[in-house]
Amino acid sequence: MNPSPEVLLTMPARPEGVGVVRQALAGMADALDFEASVLADMKMAVTEACTNVVVHAYDSDAGMLEVEMLASEDGLTIVVRDHGTGIQPRPARSEPPALGLGLPLIAALSDAFELRGSAGRGTEVRMTFAYSRDGDPAEANPVTGNVGIDGRWDPDAPSDGSPAGG
Amino acid sequence: MEANPIVLDDTPGDVVVVVVEGEHDIYTAPTLRERLDEALERGGGIVVDLTAATFVDSSVLGALLDARRRALEASQGFVVCVGETVEPGVQRILDITGLVPVLPVLRHREEAIEAARTNGAAE
Repeated sequence: MNPSPEVLLTMPARPEGVGVVRQALAGMADALDFEASVLADMKMAVTEACTNVVVHAYDSDAGMLEVEMLASEDGLTIVVRDHGTGIQPRPARSEPPALGLGLPLIAALSDAFELRGSAGRGTEVRMTFAYSRDGDPAEANPVTGNVGIDGRWDPDAPSDGSPAGG
Repeated sequence: MEANPIVLDDTPGDVVVVVVEGEHDIYTAPTLRERLDEALERGGGIVVDLTAATFVDSSVLGALLDARRRALEASQGFVVCVGETVEPGVQRILDITGLVPVLPVLRHREEAIEAARTNGAAE
């Protein structure tokens, strides 16, 4: 049996790197024969996790973004890691305020999701995508809420309507 | 040549179409905000055409929602269109966030242009 594919990407935590991670992920998922719909979910979730690192992890541009892709018998696990100051509210630097949808989207799009982090020790988002899905993870972990008057996502706001299908 | 262009099309006259192609995320969101600012400054309706977009993330949604809010405040129409065969990298985020009725999102550019002509005045 061939060893499981394993990829480790390390790059400066800057906006231009996020698309590079998506390209690498697409190649990995293609080699593993994932369905297009699962690949689309992977690309979205990993983009949101990397964006969180770019926007929130470091006070300057000096920090690094790490992305690890580990294939197993059941699926592909992707770990997005930074070595910043941990999970804490932080005003965005020069960028407009983030919408605040990143983690709800990751939870909705992945088949399993774990967030680890502590002050001063960085943050790690671990997402797993199954080769064969029992159902849509977005039904089990729906994104709730709506955009608030301040332009950020308000998880307690009522939805304006049901999501349109197809 | 720009791989993921965002250009303004003002051929409809009173409505500006912001045509978004390819993949867009935090890297290109500032460019999208600039184009949306230009479109808002023209004072008429705004259509954001995602028909040729293959991927958009929450940074893009944030830019669209900001522009929508400003358009509504200025009584300018604001509509997004996605075309007939929507890429999963665009449809999925619109579906699970429930933003289709909020933005709002229509299929065809022509119906979106028509809606942008009238929905600003209706607010």
